[in-house]
Amino acid sequence: MTADPFTMWHPVASEHDVPYRHVHHAQLLGLELAVWRADDDFVNVWENRCLHRGVRLSIGSNDGTELRCQYHGWRYANRSAGCTYIPAHPADAPARTICNRTFPSVERYGLVWSGEEPVGDPPTIDALEAGAPFGLRNLPVNASVELTVRHLEAHRFSPNGQLDEEPEMSVDRVEDYSVALTARAGGSQSTAVFFVQPVDSARCMVRGVLSETPPAGEQLAVWRHHATGLNQLRVAIEAEAASQPAPEPMVPVLQQVPVHLAEIPDAPSGRQAALRVLVHRKWETADGVAAFELAPLEGVLPTFQPGAHIDVHLPNGLVRQYSITNGPGETSYYRLGVKLEPESTGGSSCLHETVREGDVLAISEPRNNFPLRRDSNRTILLAGGIGITPLLAMAQSLDRMRLGFELHCFAQSAEHIAFADVVEGLGPSVVRHLGLSPSETVSEIQRLVAGYENYSNLYVCGPGPMLEAVRREAAAAGWPDEAVHFEYFKNTTEIDDSSTFEVALARSALTVTVPPGATILEVLREHGVAMPSSCEQGACGTCVATVLDGEPHHQDVYLNDSEHRAGDRIMTCVSRSVSDRLVLDL
Amino acid sequence: MIKLYDYVLSVNCYKQRLMMSILDVPYESVPVDFFPGWEHKGAEFRKINPLGHIPVIDDDGYILWDAHAILVYLASRYDPSGRWYPAGDPELLGETASWMLFAEGTTNTASAARLCVNLDYDFDLEACQAGAHRLFRVLDEHLWFHERRGLDWVCSGDHPTIADIALFPDVILSEEGGISRMDYPALRRWTDRVRRIDGFEVMPGIFPASPG
Repeated sequence: MTADPFTMWHPVASEHDVPYRHVHHAQLLGLELAVWRADDDFVNVWENRCLHRGVRLSIGSNDGTELRCQYHGWRYANRSAGCTYIPAHPADAPARTICNRTFPSVERYGLVWSGEEPVGDPPTIDALEAGAPFGLRNLPVNASVELTVRHLEAHRFSPNGQLDEEPEMSVDRVEDYSVALTARAGGSQSTAVFFVQPVDSARCMVRGVLSETPPAGEQLAVWRHHATGLNQLRVAIEAEAASQPAPEPMVPVLQQVPVHLAEIPDAPSGRQAALRVLVHRKWETADGVAAFELAPLEGVLPTFQPGAHIDVHLPNGLVRQYSITNGPGETSYYRLGVKLEPESTGGSSCLHETVREGDVLAISEPRNNFPLRRDSNRTILLAGGIGITPLLAMAQSLDRMRLGFELHCFAQSAEHIAFADVVEGLGPSVVRHLGLSPSETVSEIQRLVAGYENYSNLYVCGPGPMLEAVRREAAAAGWPDEAVHFEYFKNTTEIDDSSTFEVALARSALTVTVPPGATILEVLREHGVAMPSSCEQGACGTCVATVLDGEPHHQDVYLNDSEHRAGDRIMTCVSRSVSDRLVLDL
Repeated sequence: MIKLYDYVLSVNCYKQRLMMSILDVPYESVPVDFFPGWEHKGAEFRKINPLGHIPVIDDDGYILWDAHAILVYLASRYDPSGRWYPAGDPELLGETASWMLFAEGTTNTASAARLCVNLDYDFDLEACQAGAHRLFRVLDEHLWFHERRGLDWVCSGDHPTIADIALFPDVILSEEGGISRMDYPALRRWTDRVRRIDGFEVMPGIFPASPG
């Protein structure tokens, strides 16, 4: 062997090994792989081990968008392999750093190619470039690659159309992991390339590809001819292998727990725009609503979960938050819907008027402060106007998992419903409430939230007055605060920043004074304390801190009433202190 | 109602539960303390089946033992379509009988290996495993060629038969006996199809498939 096998491309599956909704179990150089095709035809090649308890992902289920581990139901996204849901923590959004080890995949000649750290592109074989390659049945062999390649050099088969004739064989090419042979008989000739996948030190998989596809009526006979011949070859190879001492099995290098998971990470400070994305597509999805598909400039976009949003850093310097509307597994772009606000202060108007297809935008990684539980008996999604965006992601996830839900779309008219095609695809779970007056909207909400039962959850996103109405009517109908999940577009509270108070940071052993006109967040940053933030107006929940002592003066719309009363968390961008001193767990 | 003398971890009992679940036949499971009590080897149980093994069914006084024989009976009596046991089609019936005999082989190798590992049976584990691999190679190739012809099941009809039911548990639980199915991708795909049959039911160690 000359080349380093770990830097080479090898076939790990054949096309027919990866039908939709199946997980193929493969192995390469001692390392087990789970190989699965998503409904968008992306073929995922992952280390065959759930990050949670190490169970094989190859026994998991492929629902077309995500792979679900059979053991505890952790779900991993197509492409990125990031974890999207942990059933034992239904109210939480999994950390984005929980991500399986992935390997590159390329489909060529009817085979799926991958490798541990492959360099360049999979091999190009002239004989297979010319015609229509025809995949033979794979042959697992309990022998080393070297021994198998040596036997393959002397392998004999008859050309297509002359299967009963004795062939004249020529060896076209022999490499470490492949043998190309041509058979001639009766004026016909066929070239076959046999790729040998190194499964382990004493096991391999022979994947044969003919350069020409025989006519439909002859294919079965060709497959049988080659299967019979290769079976005979295997008997000889394995007999020889059995007469030799077996080599030690390869010891795969499994993914270690990455450093960033083993250590407490530095909290990012300020509004980070870690990603650059291309405006791949922009279109009008509803009256006054522009839709954007943002594609990665390279690589794979970070994993998102239903309810997640990103910060979009606009060319005019403003930063705005938009929900990701994608369904599960739609991982090749982020799809946003942006309504043109009549009183736009420069955010929505910039996206509508200035940003065009082909532009590059800076965005943050997705953040999920509006996570979706999947353990409800009943899930009601209430969307007011453009508030449908996070709920659309939720509805598609529930639909894919075959969990029941109701999506109520409140809009001026059918033309005002964004992503109407996606909404339509959700079928009878969607109810449209069109052209209602404010008082009619309230009565409709009263009707929808009537009769709370345990294990029900309500998710609402829309204009402030609608959210107020939903929260009020749900509370009146007996819904506990923790079952009513809401996301405001913006905080319309008039912020009182006239107080002066001390903030003590328990872990940093630092005490600072917040003067009138400054926020806790600003003062902390001035003192070098790293704090993440996003909307900076008390709506998104990103800059949350835990309160250890003191009484917060809440001015946000992220926490609900019970959470405000509990007083153990504070939004540092707008909220202040009633007591003279506030102790935070920072 | 049918009484099934049953043990939850037995593949042969599961074959009956699976068949009755698919055919929507109500039955009563009578638990037998197979392990560690060896109740089926005791004098009381031998009054029901002198061979001292389960499953046994009692269908309103009609007693029948032997897993694969019970499948023949259940399908013949309770499948009005006649497709699970295709008695009206000589060729398909021949294939069914052939693969049922093949399933005796997988039970005596793959499932026997599982008994060695899980319940400390004193069989030759390596011989059981090697025997299962020999049979799985044949079955995988058979199913691969069936897929090429657009056929989903072990027999060449367009509907599954009792041969699929007889083989499935031996195959799907093989890893408990230390028999990997990595080398048998067509066999793995067939297990997905079986798990998507209407009325499919699981047992410990068997998981449902994702919707197709």
